[in-house]
Amino acid sequence: MDMLKYSIGRLLRSLITLFIVLSMVFLLMRLMPVEGYFGARGDNMAPEVKEQILKSLGLLDPWYKQLVSFWGRLLHGDLGESIVYRRGASCASIIGPKIATSFRFGIVSLLIQNIVGLPLGVLMANKKNGVVDKLGNVYILIINAVPAAVYYLLLQLGGSNIFGISMIYRPGDVSTMILPVICLSLGGIATNAMWMRRYMVDQMNMDYIRLAKAKGLSSKKVAFSHVVRNAFIPMAQSLPRSIIFTLAGSLYVESLFSIPGMGALLVTAIQRQDNTLVQAVVLLFSAMSVVSMLLGDIAMVICDPRIKLTSGKGGRV
Amino acid sequence: MDKNPILSVKDLVVRFKLRGRVLTAIRSVSIDVFQGESLAIVGESGSGKSVLTKTFMGLLDNNGWIESGSIEYDGKDLAKFKTEKEWLEIRGGKIAMVFQDPMTSLSPLKTIGKQVEEAVVLHQKVKGEEAKKRTLEILAEVGIPDVETRYKQYPHEFSGGMRQRVVIAMALACKPQILICDEPTTALDVTIQAQILSLIKRMQEKYNLTVIFITHDLGVVAEMADRIAVMYAGDIIETGKCDEVFFNPQHPYTWALLGSLPQLGVKGENLYSIAGTPPNLFKEIKGDAFAPRNKYALKVDYVARPPYFSVSETHKARTWLLDPRSPKIEPPEYIRRLKEMEVK
Repeated sequence: MDMLKYSIGRLLRSLITLFIVLSMVFLLMRLMPVEGYFGARGDNMAPEVKEQILKSLGLLDPWYKQLVSFWGRLLHGDLGESIVYRRGASCASIIGPKIATSFRFGIVSLLIQNIVGLPLGVLMANKKNGVVDKLGNVYILIINAVPAAVYYLLLQLGGSNIFGISMIYRPGDVSTMILPVICLSLGGIATNAMWMRRYMVDQMNMDYIRLAKAKGLSSKKVAFSHVVRNAFIPMAQSLPRSIIFTLAGSLYVESLFSIPGMGALLVTAIQRQDNTLVQAVVLLFSAMSVVSMLLGDIAMVICDPRIKLTSGKGGRV
Repeated sequence: MDKNPILSVKDLVVRFKLRGRVLTAIRSVSIDVFQGESLAIVGESGSGKSVLTKTFMGLLDNNGWIESGSIEYDGKDLAKFKTEKEWLEIRGGKIAMVFQDPMTSLSPLKTIGKQVEEAVVLHQKVKGEEAKKRTLEILAEVGIPDVETRYKQYPHEFSGGMRQRVVIAMALACKPQILICDEPTTALDVTIQAQILSLIKRMQEKYNLTVIFITHDLGVVAEMADRIAVMYAGDIIETGKCDEVFFNPQHPYTWALLGSLPQLGVKGENLYSIAGTPPNLFKEIKGDAFAPRNKYALKVDYVARPPYFSVSETHKARTWLLDPRSPKIEPPEYIRRLKEMEVK
């Protein structure tokens, strides 16, 4: 019951946040240059024709009128129509397949990030200052210190030169997925391992771990039934976020390997000044962030009995 | 009290490596713990009380090790233990521990019941309903009301005193022979302290436990202990029965320690405190470690470490003052006052 109340309250506050964020994004988009709306022939258009186009799109109305009609359309599930990217196509129809592509890459890499990263962190913490820990730290340091663009490129070149894997993604060819998935996973593995190790080490020095040992539990049992559980709480909060963000794809990796996903779409839409499409994509990203924070908080409540549900304080909005 | 030591420490030396330097935390300590007694180990912070008892359970931090000496228990030498498997025979089932701060001694994510039950399952070899039944019994025994409800609650739903009861229940569930209480009441407020102490005393009688108390609270000592060991700079400098150490102390450090009891203060005057600071344990200590802070120090105190001199069969102290060749020095006046206070 408490749980339900908390979730509903938290949901309402998320909706308010979402409303504010979306309105801000919409209004900011009004400040963008308008050239995109005229298409390729824009340079040769007479000013009267340009004005006519803007007027037909409702862009000459005062901002509050535009905002109201934007919300009206949005509530009917209408994200608007693309102007340049694929003229006249609804944004939803463009985004749909792109999300599917990004998700396919994202979910595989997310699985790898967690399946490799979390146990790596646990291993490093259990044998702190051992060989695994030292190597792991070197890896984490390199991944965090070297700009991603550098090792992405090295991987792409190395992969294609040494193993003969195609440099770009071809839909349907699974082998071409390998390199981008590795690129997408490296950072996450490092982050997961780093935090898991940190939280584990913190927990290991706690009194209750010493007491658990003092009552005769083996270190293996202590590690699994006490340390990992406690260390996982802070990780639990970020898990929904990483799941949702697989949908967003990666700007850089998708461009690099020519993957037709969300990240690449955003880049193209901005370059070609397809304002409606940019707006739709950004809206989607903001909505995802707000929802993922909500889910993260709920995940935390499920994992940690200390968080009081009734007070409704302490959550992020 | 039985005359056979249940645990016998001989010439124990414990070292730690700290930022590349080696520190000697326990400097050749010997002490016997007798079956069924309560022994109080007193001394100021950093004197090595906790470290000493941690060696009994193999719970030294990773940067510490036993350099030499032995810890005899049940025909085995605990100081020689290397593997965790050996220690699991001892921990909990033979020697159990209660820590200082009940607020952090329990895992925040597991219910109280499950945490105590863990010990029951491990050491009483029962499972399921029977384990739960025994857990509820132990919880009720340490004075937790409404155990059925409390069983399902988490540590944050308990007060400090109640949590310490749970920790004690957990220790008892292991069915140990020796219970080490590492400052069990320091983190509690005064009224709760008395309750917890009387609980420990009751449990000691009921289960015939040998209790080792670590404390710097001389009030607790007077209340609980049969015997006292006074530690200073990683060494036990005086041991004896409670009365002997309180009313006939021999080592100047014991004098100083007793002198800082607020009860001995004179109204209007500053309370007594020991001048100087404890010695640096990174350096090798020559002679009597307390000598630099001791106004009664003899020349020999700076040169040679004193051996134990026996005062009675049960009372001995490590000070040259007890050597027949030493000049006769009367203990300070307040020690006599302590005696008079007791007589009244």
